[in-house]
Amino acid sequence: MSRDFLVAALLLAAATAWAADPPPGTAVSFLACPVARDTGPDTDLCFFAEHDGHRYALVNPPDWGVPQLKHRVLVEGRVKEGPAYCGAIVIEGRASVIAEIDASCNVVLPFDGAIKGVAGGVFNSGTPEQRAFAQDLARRAAADPRLSVEPAIADPAPAPLPAPPFERRTLVIIYPFDSDRGAGPDMVKLKELATFIKVANARGVQVVGFRATSRLSDGSELTERQQIAEDRAKKVASILGGLGVNARLAHVSWDTHAIDGNGDGDWRNRKVEISVEP
Amino acid sequence: MFAAIALLSVSAAGIVVSADTYDAADSWWRPGDQRLMPASADYENALGRVRIVNAGGSFATKDHAFFTALGSNGRACVTCHQPSNAMGLSVQTIRRRWEETDGKDPLFSSVDGSNCPNLPQAVRSSHSLLLDRGLIRVALPWPPRDADGSVIQPEFTMEVVRDPTGCNTDPLYGLNARDPSISVYRRPRPVANLKYLLELPHGVPPSDFLFYNDKSLLPRNPETGGFATLQLMSDGRDLTPKIQARDAARNHLRSNAPLSDKQLAQIESFETQVYAAQAFDKVGGELTGAGAPPGLGPEALEKGAPARLGNNPINRIFGSFAMWRSAQAPAAGADADRALMFRESVARGADIFYLRRFIINDVGKYNDKGLGNPFKRSCGSGCHNTLLMGMDLAPGYMDLGLNNLPWANERPDLPLFKVTCNSNAAPQSYLGRVIYTYDPARALITGKCADVGASMTQQSRGLAARAPYFMNGSAANLRELVDFYDRRFNIGYSEAEKIDLVNFLSVL
Repeated sequence: MSRDFLVAALLLAAATAWAADPPPGTAVSFLACPVARDTGPDTDLCFFAEHDGHRYALVNPPDWGVPQLKHRVLVEGRVKEGPAYCGAIVIEGRASVIAEIDASCNVVLPFDGAIKGVAGGVFNSGTPEQRAFAQDLARRAAADPRLSVEPAIADPAPAPLPAPPFERRTLVIIYPFDSDRGAGPDMVKLKELATFIKVANARGVQVVGFRATSRLSDGSELTERQQIAEDRAKKVASILGGLGVNARLAHVSWDTHAIDGNGDGDWRNRKVEISVEP
Repeated sequence: MFAAIALLSVSAAGIVVSADTYDAADSWWRPGDQRLMPASADYENALGRVRIVNAGGSFATKDHAFFTALGSNGRACVTCHQPSNAMGLSVQTIRRRWEETDGKDPLFSSVDGSNCPNLPQAVRSSHSLLLDRGLIRVALPWPPRDADGSVIQPEFTMEVVRDPTGCNTDPLYGLNARDPSISVYRRPRPVANLKYLLELPHGVPPSDFLFYNDKSLLPRNPETGGFATLQLMSDGRDLTPKIQARDAARNHLRSNAPLSDKQLAQIESFETQVYAAQAFDKVGGELTGAGAPPGLGPEALEKGAPARLGNNPINRIFGSFAMWRSAQAPAAGADADRALMFRESVARGADIFYLRRFIINDVGKYNDKGLGNPFKRSCGSGCHNTLLMGMDLAPGYMDLGLNNLPWANERPDLPLFKVTCNSNAAPQSYLGRVIYTYDPARALITGKCADVGASMTQQSRGLAARAPYFMNGSAANLRELVDFYDRRFNIGYSEAEKIDLVNFLSVL
């Protein structure tokens, strides 16, 4: 065995050790700088973070909050089976932007052709009716450019009003670390719940805010600020009130004690629970 | 060329007012002039003509509240919202009024038409911000007040680092006065196309009841009880035309008595049915009519659906310019080739505006509102996404870098403030808790650290008639506007692309 071959074999072994992905279901929880990766001239960037020699994709539900350079992210979740995203392991969980600035988080990888993004748009988002409307308008506007200033996004049909029998409903809203900003889809659900409360002439509404501690994979802990449970509960109550829910119906409370974390799914504890008794 | 344009006729209902043979009696609307506000009129500017459509039909302005002096300084709403300037006010017009009236026009009233009321009013230098940058002094109470007048405890303190106008350190007008106020200097926004600014957004739930930024409730429109958009003013402080009219009458027109219901109704009625857009280009010819891009001209705005998202492959904000990609010259003759080339340039500029993505980074209240930092979009698919108008549809505001260092253009003519935020306040996402700014903007209304320097994006119509641009007038012309973005976001536009973009913006 030549010396060169030995070196190459050692390097390969090291690379293999680096590349061996944790098995699906492995819980991870860590703080890191996000890295932005350009995915092509016509698409957006994607983000990943490195931890213990692995790259983890930073993907959240819509409008929950995309990572930000100049800020670290708290990454929590379980490794998910399936193809890589952004050249990184996909996890089922959440990536929270930490509010304080960290100027050292500032890496953008240029587009290298390896990871190509997919552009979104009116033809693959919205309701089926909205997509069909856009497709039809696109066809007609191609023949008649005057139609290009007609709105391509139709208003969605109004949701049908809730009908009896009215049963107890609950909604749980999960938040990023130290944040009281609810994601858009959750706020749409909150609006639907407000409609339900009014139509069902509900007897009572409980709004309870929580805060939580996240246990990181290295054993350290990260606890949300004292005030955040109250902020979350009051904000939800304020939105319900703004949507016409009688303030006297709502019982608003919060738990100042941070829910303990165990390093597996701690993100689920950063929440507001809303329950409605019809 | 100018004589030929002056002879051009427009529609039967319309008139043409030439600024090249400037006649103050025609082009400048003086408060109290007894004139006819026509259903449609074209006004010349350096690049062509802007058209004002008065959709409710012509009316006599005699005793109309928008056109009548309502306070002690002789100003009317029309003083700062001139039809010839797309219902805004260009610095070119301001300078003309200074020269024609030797600085005596009510426009130069000491209260806000000068750098500070404590300055000698007869000299030009006391009005330099208005004459050089088109800026009106806006004095806001400090600390901020709620809609009901109660004090908002701000999350930050302010120091005056530099005070070239002297107003912020003045014992009567400054931050340490008995009734403390902060003086910032802003451009008057055009009072046109308002239906697009006042209607809640369609198709982007939950932005019809929540701020996009932090998902808190939008404020209520006290007149209707519904939610309000905040698109009317750069800092979002006055929610409706009537509230803005009351504010302006009190603070800019020096009205001692509140406006009557009839006056408010007149102002609101006029403002919500007037449309402004460029309609003719001196090189490119007619911008409207058969075969023209469908989004150009005020008629498209009058007919258009307000508050719709336009950042999609069909709408592309201002509609198709495909007919100008291989344009036909508007008429045979010596200028035909230039017209053809101009139209093709506009169509290329539209493509750049619509399609050319660049990395948008470190914009407070934008990258941090769920979109990610950085974020890659074109002008049209990013911040300027409202169909036919080009402002951001979702109710929210952002710190593009117009007011805050280090991004803002160097402005030794403006006051500079040091903002120091409380340690427990949420920081401005990319500047932290110590911010140097020429104008804290939205933060002067909310008192929030994260809002320092943030403002509402503006509509992009009638630009050729109302330079300079940005809320503090830091871009003297469209080229400087494009250059600002190119520098701020390191876009790397080529010289040809910049020319195409300028031509495109000039016809909107």
